[in-house]
Amino acid sequence: MQTITIHVNGKKVRGTIDERMLLIEFIRDVANLTGTHAGCWEARCGACAVELDGNTVKSCNVLAVQADGCSVFTVESLSQQRLKPVEHVTTQSLAGVYTPLQAIGSSAADLHPLQKAFHTCHALQCGFCTPGMLMVLKGFLAENPSPTREEVRMAIAGNICRCTGYQHIVDAAMMAAETLRAAGP
Amino acid sequence: MDVDYANKLVGQSVPRTEDLALLTGTARYIDDIRMPGMIYAKVLRSTHAHAHFKLDVSRARTMPGVLGVLTGAELVGKVKPWGDLMQDLLVGDHFAFAIDKVCYEGQEIAAVVAETKYQAMDALEAIDIEYDPLPVVLEADKAILPDAPLLHPNFNYEFGEGNIFDRYRVRIGDIERAEAEADLVVRQRFSSNRQAGAALDPHGCVASYDSFSGMLTLYSSTQSLFMVRDVLADSLQLARNRVRVVAPEVGAGFGSKAQVFAHEVIASIFSLQTGRPVHLVLSRAEVFRVGTARNGQIRHVEMFFKKDGKITGYRDYVIQNSGGSSYWGNQVVHIGTNVGMLPYPVPNIHIDGDIVHTNTAPGGALRGFGIPQINWAKEQLMDIAASELGLDPAHIRDINIVRGDQCPLVTPFGQKVDTTSIDSCLAKAVEVIGWHDKRANKRPYEGVGMSLGMKYTSCRHPSFDTDLSAIRLRLETDGTVTIFSSDVNHGQGHATFLAQIVSDVLGVGFEKIVLAPPDSSNAPFGLGTYASRAAAVLGTACRMAAERLREKIVAIAAHVLEVDAGDLEAGGDRIYVKGLSNTGLYLENLAGYSVYRTHQLPPGFEPTLEATATYDTPTDREAPDGSGNFSVTYAGGCHIAHVRVDPGTGHITILDYVMVHDTGTVINPLIVEGQHQGGFLMGLGMAFGEDYVYDSEGHLLTATFAEYKAPLATDVPELHHLFEIPAPSTTIPGGQKGAGESGTGPVCAALGNAVAHATGVRFTTLPITADRMLLALREKERSGLEIFRYPDDMPDYDGPRGYEDWPKPTGGEGEMFF
Repeated sequence: MQTITIHVNGKKVRGTIDERMLLIEFIRDVANLTGTHAGCWEARCGACAVELDGNTVKSCNVLAVQADGCSVFTVESLSQQRLKPVEHVTTQSLAGVYTPLQAIGSSAADLHPLQKAFHTCHALQCGFCTPGMLMVLKGFLAENPSPTREEVRMAIAGNICRCTGYQHIVDAAMMAAETLRAAGP
Repeated sequence: MDVDYANKLVGQSVPRTEDLALLTGTARYIDDIRMPGMIYAKVLRSTHAHAHFKLDVSRARTMPGVLGVLTGAELVGKVKPWGDLMQDLLVGDHFAFAIDKVCYEGQEIAAVVAETKYQAMDALEAIDIEYDPLPVVLEADKAILPDAPLLHPNFNYEFGEGNIFDRYRVRIGDIERAEAEADLVVRQRFSSNRQAGAALDPHGCVASYDSFSGMLTLYSSTQSLFMVRDVLADSLQLARNRVRVVAPEVGAGFGSKAQVFAHEVIASIFSLQTGRPVHLVLSRAEVFRVGTARNGQIRHVEMFFKKDGKITGYRDYVIQNSGGSSYWGNQVVHIGTNVGMLPYPVPNIHIDGDIVHTNTAPGGALRGFGIPQINWAKEQLMDIAASELGLDPAHIRDINIVRGDQCPLVTPFGQKVDTTSIDSCLAKAVEVIGWHDKRANKRPYEGVGMSLGMKYTSCRHPSFDTDLSAIRLRLETDGTVTIFSSDVNHGQGHATFLAQIVSDVLGVGFEKIVLAPPDSSNAPFGLGTYASRAAAVLGTACRMAAERLREKIVAIAAHVLEVDAGDLEAGGDRIYVKGLSNTGLYLENLAGYSVYRTHQLPPGFEPTLEATATYDTPTDREAPDGSGNFSVTYAGGCHIAHVRVDPGTGHITILDYVMVHDTGTVINPLIVEGQHQGGFLMGLGMAFGEDYVYDSEGHLLTATFAEYKAPLATDVPELHHLFEIPAPSTTIPGGQKGAGESGTGPVCAALGNAVAHATGVRFTTLPITADRMLLALREKERSGLEIFRYPDDMPDYDGPRGYEDWPKPTGGEGEMFF
């Protein structure tokens, strides 16, 4: 057993762990953030992708002890959770003027442009691969703000999705890239 | 001002309500469940495909943290076996563990439960096991031979013997006459591969037993609550109302989670024994080995034609590889073959099937359910026949298909096609891809190929005389609506499309509707989410329940407003007198009367506003000749692929891919688009790479995503040529048809036909990999054959090369498999 500290989404997390513990297990079981998913445990599916000291890594392929003292960002860091009750349940009709994000009491600003684009483009079905896709694309768009569709496909070639056929994911990445470019650096 | 509430949500691409939790990481999948005192189970699995074994678990019991060890021998007589979905006879061929003999690699042998995952893994290594290996049989056509090793010598099957656990037979019309009078007979043996669902969220469960209430709660990553509940309760001999199955967020299934699994039984037993919540989630390697794979088929197909291209007959002998055990295996042959014969109303059909066990991974349900396998054979034979008759492949299909203007029609096979646009789909796809130009001006190593397919929309299984789903709705006292359903969403968007239907019928704001998490203890009985049944069958139950609820709400409003119910309209979260949409009573007031002010209710009105509806499709049981209408309505589509083959590497590039579908009335176009694109991906994986490859001893060589070639984003072409030509179902009240699987069925054959057009190499086996392509091109050149069949014309091929070498069906002609 060993005691380590990892900064997860800006918070210091300490844990005394079995040396066999992987970074993904530290994130999920010690930091209690279960948005990072394990689809294969062999660094093939990419559902566990996180940002580790500025690099995108598959967290099932890193021992937690290797990340001692490092900084990790997960899917949970992309947008603030809405911790207030829904505001818009009124007796007034919203049918016909439906705008989904407003309707559930959140504002578009709550979501990262990538998340918003995934929602708009229906780039997720079961949602299991989505956190990994988002983290990989976030890192990719930071390096390549104006990608082609082929470059997006290359960027996510380490992430398996069994539901979507990737078409809508590429659509969403292109949409998010445009939003991020418009927002400026 | 009068507001027009006619603007309905059904038909609109409403973004999904389920997305926010999935996008932000707050959704809870099975491995995210944490319970106080939760302990961890791991399973020891066979490393042999066929062997007797001896087990000593005494060391494991004393390992640190270990709280329990289970083996098969100690459960005999205490836990009931469960069986395949056979007709009328449960063989009892599934058990929590192998007892003294394993029949496939990965089969459960023992399990441990410990305080931590690591302790459980360490304890597994302390189990001593000795194998005594037996000869293995891995291929279906070898498993039927008299000297084949027997997997289950102690089981008696009603319609089979040896490794043949079931048979299938169709006798429609007069096949001998069709053969005698045919101008052309085409014959070819086709085989298809095993494919994993490989849902990214691995199978798993958390079982939690409370001895004081006697309730066993199973959280499971499953597609079907009640199928799991009933089999589990039966196996553990618990009352069914003391077993509660709850599905968390389920990270896809594709059919692979539509049955009960040994790990669900094992975790439950550990929880019954320890009184603590037991976590048991499988690894990817375990999911590949036991999470079920598509049933592989060998089809010996003969098709009979007239000179003008009219199909007069279809004869087939199917040998299906259903692996070491198979819950759904025989159903795949029945339903896949019946529905897979469409869109051709073939007058004379003669089919025999032997459904066999081999020492390979269990065969299960997988997207397409038999249809991709028959489509692979039949649609390639259509091209072969077209070529023999000098006809265009589009033309030979066009003159044979069921047409929209003939509907409703009943085919000789018994299918009642209520509506279809398959003829228009074909015409549209031909136009979009530029078919005639590409056929006339063929470029070297480029080709176009097509396939037509129709797909059931849910199904009455021959072994399973039911096809129902149910919805309960409650108008809550603040005017919101809760939907209860046991049909588990695992990516299809239930929370969204059901809310679209409810919103339209009740006039309640979409954002006020919530789908309750699937829980067998409070949801109405439904079969689950599989067989493309959600939108059409569950959606119909939802529409019926919403209409019933609306009737109740309107009755209260009519009483309070003292008007006739027929003068009232629903919309804008209220009930109002027609033409006065800015007046009326809000739903929350009406719901309030129904619960808190019951004196306001009409005389005799039973308080509260809830409504339940169950929809069972008007479908047939299978008749003794194999005929019947198993599906309530039929989705369909035409796919055309344009490919280029690199003669230097064998690599195949899809230059363009056109999909034109009939999905009836579409509730949410964006969701349906996603279903077709995802369906295509699964077909592409089956066509070009996904496969269960075994060594000669039955070890699976493709049990990781490194070897198992699931398509990546770079393998998939742009899918912007995707069109809908809706022919709304007239049987389903809302007009919907199933969307989930029509994208998968035609893919392999469309690509196979395109490859054959490009190169002259006709693949008769799957997958079409680059190395096989390259070998075939080299051998074709060497042999000088104009049409080269892979693998039939390869020098080292040891299977039957021609019709005269085909095996004969094993069933006696006098028997009826009923």
